[in-house]
Amino acid sequence: MTLAVFLPFLLAALAAWLGPRLGRRTGYVAALAFVPALLLAVPLAGAGPGAAPALEVTRWVPDLGLALAFRGDGFSLLFAALIGVIGTLSSLYSVAYLSGHERFGRFYAYLLLFGGSMLGLVLSDNLVALFGFWEMTSVTSFLLIGLWHTRSAARDGAVKAFLVSALGGLGLLAAVAMIGLAGGSTTLSGLDVEALRASPLFVPALLLTLLAAFTKSAQLPFHLWLPTAMEAPTPVSAFLHSATMVKAGVVLVAKFGLLFGSSPLWGGIIVPVGLATLVWGAWIALRQTDLKALLAYSTVSQLGLLMSLYGLSDAEGRFAATAHLLNHAAFKAALFFVVGIIDHETGTRELPRLGGLRKALPVTFAVALLASLSMAGVPPLGGFISKELFYEAMLHRGPLFIAVAVLGSALTFAYSFRLLRVFWGPPRSPPGAEPHEAPPGLTGPAALLALTALAFGLLPGVAGALTRTAQNALDFASYRGYLSLWHGVTPALLATFVTWGLGGLLILQAARVGALGRRLTPRVNANTVYYALTEGVNILSSRLIARTQGLALPDQLRIMLGAAGLIAGYAVWRSPQVFHSIGTPPLALLPVAALLVAGAVGVLLARSRLTAVVVTGLTGFGSAAAFLGLRAPDLALTQLLVEAVTVILFLLVFRYLPRTRDLPRTRWRYGVDLLLAGSAGLGATLLVLAGVRFLAPPISPYYLENSYRLGGGRNVVNVLLVDFRGFDTLGEIAVVGMVALAVLGLVRLGKKGRAPGEPPPVPASPPPKEKEEA
Amino acid sequence: METLFALLIGLLIAAGVFLLLSRVIVRVVLGLSFITYGGNLAILTVAGLREDAPPLLTLKGPYVDPLPQALILTAIVIGFATTALLLTVALRAYQVAGHDDVEAFGDNLARDPEADDGLAADPEHQGPDRPDPEEPRTLVYSARSPGGGEP
Repeated sequence: MTLAVFLPFLLAALAAWLGPRLGRRTGYVAALAFVPALLLAVPLAGAGPGAAPALEVTRWVPDLGLALAFRGDGFSLLFAALIGVIGTLSSLYSVAYLSGHERFGRFYAYLLLFGGSMLGLVLSDNLVALFGFWEMTSVTSFLLIGLWHTRSAARDGAVKAFLVSALGGLGLLAAVAMIGLAGGSTTLSGLDVEALRASPLFVPALLLTLLAAFTKSAQLPFHLWLPTAMEAPTPVSAFLHSATMVKAGVVLVAKFGLLFGSSPLWGGIIVPVGLATLVWGAWIALRQTDLKALLAYSTVSQLGLLMSLYGLSDAEGRFAATAHLLNHAAFKAALFFVVGIIDHETGTRELPRLGGLRKALPVTFAVALLASLSMAGVPPLGGFISKELFYEAMLHRGPLFIAVAVLGSALTFAYSFRLLRVFWGPPRSPPGAEPHEAPPGLTGPAALLALTALAFGLLPGVAGALTRTAQNALDFASYRGYLSLWHGVTPALLATFVTWGLGGLLILQAARVGALGRRLTPRVNANTVYYALTEGVNILSSRLIARTQGLALPDQLRIMLGAAGLIAGYAVWRSPQVFHSIGTPPLALLPVAALLVAGAVGVLLARSRLTAVVVTGLTGFGSAAAFLGLRAPDLALTQLLVEAVTVILFLLVFRYLPRTRDLPRTRWRYGVDLLLAGSAGLGATLLVLAGVRFLAPPISPYYLENSYRLGGGRNVVNVLLVDFRGFDTLGEIAVVGMVALAVLGLVRLGKKGRAPGEPPPVPASPPPKEKEEA
Repeated sequence: METLFALLIGLLIAAGVFLLLSRVIVRVVLGLSFITYGGNLAILTVAGLREDAPPLLTLKGPYVDPLPQALILTAIVIGFATTALLLTVALRAYQVAGHDDVEAFGDNLARDPEADDGLAADPEHQGPDRPDPEEPRTLVYSARSPGGGEP
């Protein structure tokens, strides 16, 4: 399992390298990456549903409870194998699909990274790692959707998908932390479920988990990102939207349903949201003219169905949902492939511009027919069986539930036939396009999936056995139901007849339905809200930047200092104050103190810049004297040296600077500055007082003891600088060196460059010579 | 003794901040110097001022703490480097702009909308197209009144 997860990551690096060399044939390498995932199905078939799950643990960060724990229970293995199948087929399909100009290295690397994170997500037993893989699917799908990043729609779609699913990701992070805290373990299988249920964190964790699942699986009102994510190349869409990315939320609900399912809140939220998404997605899908958009909304709708079934959190719901999961992956991926073929052959995906493709594309037609009928829930296909199970489950819930379910399925029925319409009628295709049957590289994967959909219907035992493998993991072993085409005349069958009738009506009255749809289109939808929000944030941030960073330096500094002061003030106010020893000032240091004060006061009063510099020097020498008095001879020496050089530097520069004019501050700025300076000074005083001998015990005795023994020097400060903290000193030298280079560069520039729109410089000044003696 | 130094440090920092906020470029540089002085003394003070011998092993102990001294030694040199760099930048700014008023520097970007200020450097990153192209998104860098007290 560890191999299955990591091989795609390894091969992603390889694919990025091979891409420019092998071109489209990189796809075969990419397909190889999913082989271990496919092999995961072998223990699944051999061991049967009762086998104990395998566990593979690689320790990573034990302190955080973070390990790469992969747990191969029935459900995880089933899903991993599903990802393997669709991943392999998508890779093979893309070889024939992509044009020769594609950047293959990038495409396959992203695809494999995505596949690997998805496998990690379903197999991971560790909650923290699960979150990590979850976020990686968000990031990699962002990259995939934005693959054609020169198109603004692709960028928009990628950003939208990322923003929405990252929002949910944050929710999942918090939820994982809470679950780990309350359940006493960071592994899913090691959680103390009873403790979790009793914890006050139970409800928040539940809600946050739902946020994550809903955003990822495009439930209402977070469905907005899924249709625009269709900007990705079609093989990617098939991979992302049939098997994997969007089903991550479903997986989450399925797995965490065992933890949270006992709460009425869980089903109480999921089932209505899922059913609403089912109906709404299908209703919007019915009105799409772009084939891919139709499929996208159909995915939204089908995800709603899966969600509502898992949300029932009983054995029946989980059984039905798992069965439908398989069916949906089969028919939806096949349909995406079909749409890709149509797009490829005719150059358009617009429904009104297509027609009569039955003759030109016979194989594609057969595939589309099987897959669409499965989606519509027509026997003898897999979709029919899982829809019957769905109806059974909803019938047990109540009349309202079954009514909504029937409505949603009728809409599904209608749009499935609408999709097929491109194959009937008079042949119609855009000028210049001569549609003919696609190469086997394109039809092969699609046909395989369509035949699977057929097999699930004709041999319900196969699908049933596959579904049953998840029974221990999802706790529906007690459920006695089975998959069969003919259960007898049951209420579910009657509901199906109603569905067909209603669906047929919708098809016949297509014009009226369309008119109704146009009339019912709401002004405010998820997309407008999204744009309003992002626009608002954009405007807000640019205003904020203009108000803060667009200002002159002093004003920026005022804002920063003010903010820092407020925060520091709050911290001081909140924390209890302990001020330390107050010694008596030794008389010897009083002249030094006087020097420092004189410098500080003098510089504020100084009119001319020369006075200011000299007075600053006063403080500099004062602090050198202070160092001397405070038993720090090295510091005093260095400070004196630096002071001398600094004064020289100032005098050099003054040759080329104008005389100081009095540039007064406005009155309120003067006040603000006084306030800021005063509080900064007060803050510094308080900080020093509070911090005196803060670090106890000191680490310095080590240096005193070892300076001679290890460093061979009797001046401990020097030994510290060159031996114990040699890298610091190296860094310091590097800084000084860089400054020297920068100064040199600036001086060399002379007067050459001028900012645009500026008047020519006033002073005529030759570039100053040597002035760098750091 | 620590109290006296705490007060002195406060005074130095206050003077430094006040200078930092002034408009004349040289004063800004001097302000940073004062903050450096205050910071250096603060490091020494926080470690505790004691009457012991300097950390020279040739003398008889006990010794004062050598670690803050090593830190300050680095800080003094870095402070000098900062001053040197700032002074040169000040010089260069004066050569380019023709004045030494810090407050007026901020306007240079806003004054010339054609200036390459990095805002619209890459048309690829202008954000996605909108359904309503009538209203182009503008980054609101409001131009302050040019000059700001500068002739």
